[in-house]
Amino acid sequence: MKMKKVFALLLSVAMLASVTACGNDNNNTVSNTTDSSSAADESTEASSEETAEELPVVSEEEDTITIMVPPVTGTYTEKLAVWAKEFEDMYPHLHIEVIATSWDEHGSKLTTMALAGEAPDIAEVSYGAIGTYVEMGTAINIADYMEAGRLDDYDQNALDYMTLENTLYGLPLYITIQALGGNREMMEAVGADVAKIQTEGWTYEEFLDVIAAGTTNDIYGFVFGNSGVTTADFVSIFGVSAGISSSFTEDLKYAYTSENMLALLEAVETMTSSGYMPDYAVEAAQRLVMLETGEAMVVGKAMPLFESNVKKNNAGIADGTAADGSIEVEYVFLPVPTMEGATESVFGSVDGFIAMRNNNTTDEHLKNVCLFLDYICSGERAASVYTELYLTCVCESGRQIQSAFELDQSELNAAATARAISKVNAPPTGITAEMSAGAKTIMDEVIVPKFQALLAGETTAKDMYDIVCSAAYETFGQDNCASGWVK
Amino acid sequence: MASGLYSQHLNNRKLRYMRNAVLIAVLVIFALVSLFPILYMLTWSFGPAIEAASNSYSIFPRIWTMDSYKAFVNYSPHSFRWLFNSLVVAVATVLGNVVFASMAGYAFAKINFKGRQTLFFMVLIAMMIPYQVTQVPLYILIVREFQMTNTYAALILPGIATSYNIFLSKQFFTGIPTALLESAKIEGCGQLKTFRLIVLPLSKTILAVMAINTFLGSWNNFFWPFLVTSKDAMFTIQVGLKTFKFSNGTLLSPMMAGACISAVPMFILFFALQKYFLEGVTVGAVKG
Amino acid sequence: MRKKSNQYTKLPARRHKWLSSENLSGWGFILAAMIVFAFFTLYPVISAVFTSLQDYKPFGSAWVGFKNYTDAVKSTLFWKSIKNTLLYTAAVVPLSLLIAFVIAIMILPFEKKTQSVFKALYYLPGIASGVATAVVWLWLYDSSPSGIFNQLLGLFGVSSVNWLSSSNTAMFSLILMALLSSHGSNVIIYMAALHGIDNTYFEAAEMDGATFMHKVRYIVFPLCKPTTLFLLVTGIIGSFQVFMNAYMMTGGGPDNNTTMIGLLIFNNAFNYGKYGLACAQAIMLAIVIAALTMVQFKVMGEDVEY
Repeated sequence: MKMKKVFALLLSVAMLASVTACGNDNNNTVSNTTDSSSAADESTEASSEETAEELPVVSEEEDTITIMVPPVTGTYTEKLAVWAKEFEDMYPHLHIEVIATSWDEHGSKLTTMALAGEAPDIAEVSYGAIGTYVEMGTAINIADYMEAGRLDDYDQNALDYMTLENTLYGLPLYITIQALGGNREMMEAVGADVAKIQTEGWTYEEFLDVIAAGTTNDIYGFVFGNSGVTTADFVSIFGVSAGISSSFTEDLKYAYTSENMLALLEAVETMTSSGYMPDYAVEAAQRLVMLETGEAMVVGKAMPLFESNVKKNNAGIADGTAADGSIEVEYVFLPVPTMEGATESVFGSVDGFIAMRNNNTTDEHLKNVCLFLDYICSGERAASVYTELYLTCVCESGRQIQSAFELDQSELNAAATARAISKVNAPPTGITAEMSAGAKTIMDEVIVPKFQALLAGETTAKDMYDIVCSAAYETFGQDNCASGWVK
Repeated sequence: MASGLYSQHLNNRKLRYMRNAVLIAVLVIFALVSLFPILYMLTWSFGPAIEAASNSYSIFPRIWTMDSYKAFVNYSPHSFRWLFNSLVVAVATVLGNVVFASMAGYAFAKINFKGRQTLFFMVLIAMMIPYQVTQVPLYILIVREFQMTNTYAALILPGIATSYNIFLSKQFFTGIPTALLESAKIEGCGQLKTFRLIVLPLSKTILAVMAINTFLGSWNNFFWPFLVTSKDAMFTIQVGLKTFKFSNGTLLSPMMAGACISAVPMFILFFALQKYFLEGVTVGAVKG
Repeated sequence: MRKKSNQYTKLPARRHKWLSSENLSGWGFILAAMIVFAFFTLYPVISAVFTSLQDYKPFGSAWVGFKNYTDAVKSTLFWKSIKNTLLYTAAVVPLSLLIAFVIAIMILPFEKKTQSVFKALYYLPGIASGVATAVVWLWLYDSSPSGIFNQLLGLFGVSSVNWLSSSNTAMFSLILMALLSSHGSNVIIYMAALHGIDNTYFEAAEMDGATFMHKVRYIVFPLCKPTTLFLLVTGIIGSFQVFMNAYMMTGGGPDNNTTMIGLLIFNNAFNYGKYGLACAQAIMLAIVIAALTMVQFKVMGEDVEY
């Protein structure tokens, strides 16, 4: 008798607990409030002292800010710990908690936490992923909470990357420019005027001539890392040669249905069938190795940063730590060639930090969050990142500090880099989160897979173009898709 | 022992040796083929600790050094802590499963209690929901409701009695002749005593199998520990290993060194449990 | 003062039936496991079912009924991924069970020490962590002429194959990889089952003049049925949910030919943030798996005591 009662009690407690947990979950998801009562997350501080939202005064209440970053550079996590300490010294009532993640899984962990309503206050994201978080309702308009005038420090171009539907959701950390890289000696041997290309760009025809001339029995004229998921890079980076610099045109129409896209696909078809490019999928790491061993003349994707990798490799030839069969290579950073009728641009990808909503969010808290956000994206902090990545700053305060640093970069490469940055086109700011999500889905589920088939020679450019168009019409409606040639 | 299967060759030595030789040859070849990735892992763990943008495709690194192991140890003050964490979690999970899952499996197999079919069915169904969608509510449960981030409990509890192990033990216990248990009952043993004195000794093999599989699963588990730990000190070894990959390159040899180090406990456990693997259910107990 | 109940006597319907020591001990035995199950397995599953009926947002979901389900069914990629998964499962699971069974039988005649050595050798590949293994297999399958498999082919004068990037060979490559690396645990389990077969069965069969194949077919195979059923069911469940390999090796390409349903669910949940849709897809997948499992139990489970 007693055992039965005890047992029944236990069972019902278990059931009740799980149902309550369910119920709580539903309650939280149905009510759309930025609850000022602390259903605390990772923060261990006594932030329950936070007052209600009516108080606009900057108080000295204790607050904890969580920030989640993958290893942006090899030493970023260590440096971040130092900067966090500096910040805490400046503002004793604020505490920073750093969550270090790994490069590949950062996105899925962040999304899980966001879905659970437990997102970190600040998270590193690539600009293309912002749409997902906006759709979820977890991204925050930081313009409302930033200290007055601080936004002027940042380049408008970079800020535009962090903007959707004309709302600014975060601050940029850097713009990575991605284009092509080459072996200077080999190129000059086939008669290319490397200096001119770096300072003035080149046309698609010139490019074809160069790689055709550079292709011999042992050497490929052009190698682009395109196996597996890196195929998307090819589309984005080489897409600028056809004048496609973003998924949407200036007037907010979907860009991959334009004639430019067809031209791009046909160009790829030509390059793969003619043997200037390998007819097999090239692993991302391989392309750099092929450049270092002299098996490739022009490679992609390439960044100014590779100059340091190549220099290290050159140095390693003497003591055997270099890649097998390496030769001395002088690295040149090259812009992507431009087709006739297209405006030259360079593919830039922005990584930055966004502020996120979680159970701990109040106006007060957000002001503190933006304070720290601003701190790590500007000044010396930003400058040290740029130096490690061989980029120039996207904020004025960073630029001033960086001018004092010595960069081990050849003059021409530096000039090419600066020129490239000036040609980066931010995506139009009027894109909605929904459009951005739709574009991402089409890219991942239609364009990239079909592109892989195109590279393997299993489909034709026209076929792929038609399929992309029909998928786009279905998602956006035919009126919202670009047609004809877009300048 | 089921060596009776091969008894037709007992009298013919020559034939037996030939048969054995052929069998060994096939087994060894197939084993080598499957072992190739491990071999690579092992040899490359002795390579230099540089960023491997240079993937030269040879089996052996050109420079043999212990640098990568050193790099692994020095990489983070918590490198050994990660191993320790994995160990704690794995051992606790194994103990929990061996005790609780086997009890449950035995009950489902041999005890005719009310609700047995339905409950077992529920256990089975739960296995079929892909883990991707159970992660988020589980995460909400652990992090928000129970607030257990960065605790051992969060790492251990969800896996302490898995559907897989309950199913495994049930299938195995089904094969124990009921007559055995009957005779125990007649002697006045309650279920618990029967379980302890008769069933458990017979199931050493399957428990050893469960132990090693569960240990392996827990040891190699990445995503869940990744989700519920945010402090370096609480990472498990798999989570820690992933941090070797940066946006522009991978420290290949240190990663392999770490992977080798993390495989060592598995070896030790495997060989420790060896003697259990080789005992079968001595069903001969029925005849006596 | 416990009632001495024998599980063979048919209990007439009684008011206190559910108080019997059978029931109490049964529930007692499963108690710990069930509590853990209720919280950490059942609750997330129920929650997932609810979420599949919502357009889920962390701060304000909206109930949309079956919209997620209809959206999922309307997408061609969904059906393609199911087809891929079915193909993968049909190829990998039976073959890998067969391989494990054959290996277990081959190891049997040797003495204990040799058996241990072989068991260790076969279990080893499963020990390596996923990341390291993926790196190695990517290298093996590298499409350049210097990739290991291509070099092997080169020895026979066959030109290099675009292993992971060509629609024809991508799925095959994944299947081959699975077959060569996942049998260790199955071998161990089969060996445990084989050891449990009493020699008397074989002696009796020999007296009737049974050959090796007869013994295998009429003694070993039926006695291993519970094990085979278990491995088959769990193998299919596991294989249906697999996607990590595909993700790391091909990312789902080329042309979505290696996109598994698990990958689709993963992408929807974690990359596109369409969590409600992911739940709907997951539930549908679970229903398919459940149906398949029941079929297996019906076909193979008749001799098994329930």
